[in-house]
Amino acid sequence: MREKLIYGLGTIAAVLLARDLYSIFMQLPDEASQGMIYRIIFFHVPAAITAMLCAGVTLITSVGYLLTKNLKYDAISVAVTEVGLAFLAANLVTGSIWGRIIWGIWWTWDARLTSALVCWLLYAGYLMLRRALEEPTARARISAVFNIFAFVDVPIVIFSIKWWRTQHPQPVFWGGGSIDPAMYLTAVLNLVALILLAVVLSLIRLRQEEVQREIDSLRRYAHAV
Amino acid sequence: MDFFRQTLVIARKDLRAELRTKEAINASLAFALVILVLFSFAFDPLEEQTREMSGGLLWIVFAFAGTLVLNRSFAREVPNDCLDALVAAPISGAALFMGKALANFLLVISVELVSLPVFGIFYNVHWTSRIWSLLLVLALGTWGLTVIGTIFSALTVNIRLRELMAPLLVYPMLIPVLMSAMQLTMQLIAGKPLGGENEVWLRLMVAFDVIFTALSLVLLETVLVG
Amino acid sequence: MDTRNFTFMFYGFLAAWLILVVYVLSLVSRERKITEQLKGLRGLLDDRDRK
Repeated sequence: MREKLIYGLGTIAAVLLARDLYSIFMQLPDEASQGMIYRIIFFHVPAAITAMLCAGVTLITSVGYLLTKNLKYDAISVAVTEVGLAFLAANLVTGSIWGRIIWGIWWTWDARLTSALVCWLLYAGYLMLRRALEEPTARARISAVFNIFAFVDVPIVIFSIKWWRTQHPQPVFWGGGSIDPAMYLTAVLNLVALILLAVVLSLIRLRQEEVQREIDSLRRYAHAV
Repeated sequence: MDFFRQTLVIARKDLRAELRTKEAINASLAFALVILVLFSFAFDPLEEQTREMSGGLLWIVFAFAGTLVLNRSFAREVPNDCLDALVAAPISGAALFMGKALANFLLVISVELVSLPVFGIFYNVHWTSRIWSLLLVLALGTWGLTVIGTIFSALTVNIRLRELMAPLLVYPMLIPVLMSAMQLTMQLIAGKPLGGENEVWLRLMVAFDVIFTALSLVLLETVLVG
Repeated sequence: MDTRNFTFMFYGFLAAWLILVVYVLSLVSRERKITEQLKGLRGLLDDRDRK
């Protein structure tokens, strides 16, 4: 069942991405002042949204673990956090490259970039914390609590544009400006594609996590016998 | 009222234990002074620019020196099963957290209050121009530092490589409150009042303190017991 | 099409995809490692049961 889900969603994501890449490179006109480089926004923004959604999911599963003590929630937490971390990294790197062209600098310490980097560091810390704990229930409990703390940065990342004067541009797609509908469509479709991709990767990682747990329990059994 | 009584009992116990040997507080103070001296070699403390960013340096000193005290908070309870005794004691997790946080706050802020005049002397900075606002920022920032340090001390108490992991996790978590404190301190030392443009930082600090105190109060028991 | 900054845009897209590809590759290698481990352990236990 899960296999079918993985292949199905993966195919849809691939189709959407193909359509979007065609649209991005062949159909859409150039932006007035930025030239070609603006096309990166079609991955930069959806990657950010996907990463934030992953953070939200892990918050729910972390709280879920603490409430139910069911280790399945813990497995989902680690899988989704890893995937979210990859997307956030892609977001930071694409943004940095865009900034090099538009602003002339690879990085700046404004509120949006700083909080996004901190977000990345926190969730990377989550993965490192898990490495330092071997006992499964302690690991699940401690990392769940850490995850809840780490999530507090996420609203700061999202609203940093509104609360501070940032060098990072104001929201383009959902900020109230007027957008060429073709661009908007491509962005939304790309968002859907990336979310599907994130789901597929999470499912794969989740299955690996479950196999790993089975190995651990088999190993314990083998040593006990 | 039980909660307050329990909190005070824990706070008094921690303070008494610390003041008996004064290990952590001496180390912390020495560390703070050493960093202050070292930084003065990195930048020339007489230039106007250095004076402007010295508010930021001050908080780096406080964060590093404070972490020395805060990491010991729960680590100190591990030998002789003291942690088990605390967990088994008839006090709520929230009271345990609050007591330790209170004791830690007093220890860290005393180190800071000693470092502040030294900082003023070494860097030739007048920090008394807006003293009450500065003390408010000091208190709010130190409380944020204390809350995170205390809860993470509990979180990492049974971890392999605790000495390494705890700072690694604490510092990114502290960035919002440290940034706010640094910005506000820089402005206050330069003579500008709180309010207006500064308000967003002040609000961030207060929100940070409230949110993380609430989270820690609720979650400490989960962290220690499960 | 305006070809200003074409190389950088190319690098941008490449970077975004490279990060995801690296992650997928890490998943693949992990998969291989754990299936091997699983096979080994299962074999070990079967041998023990047979004896």
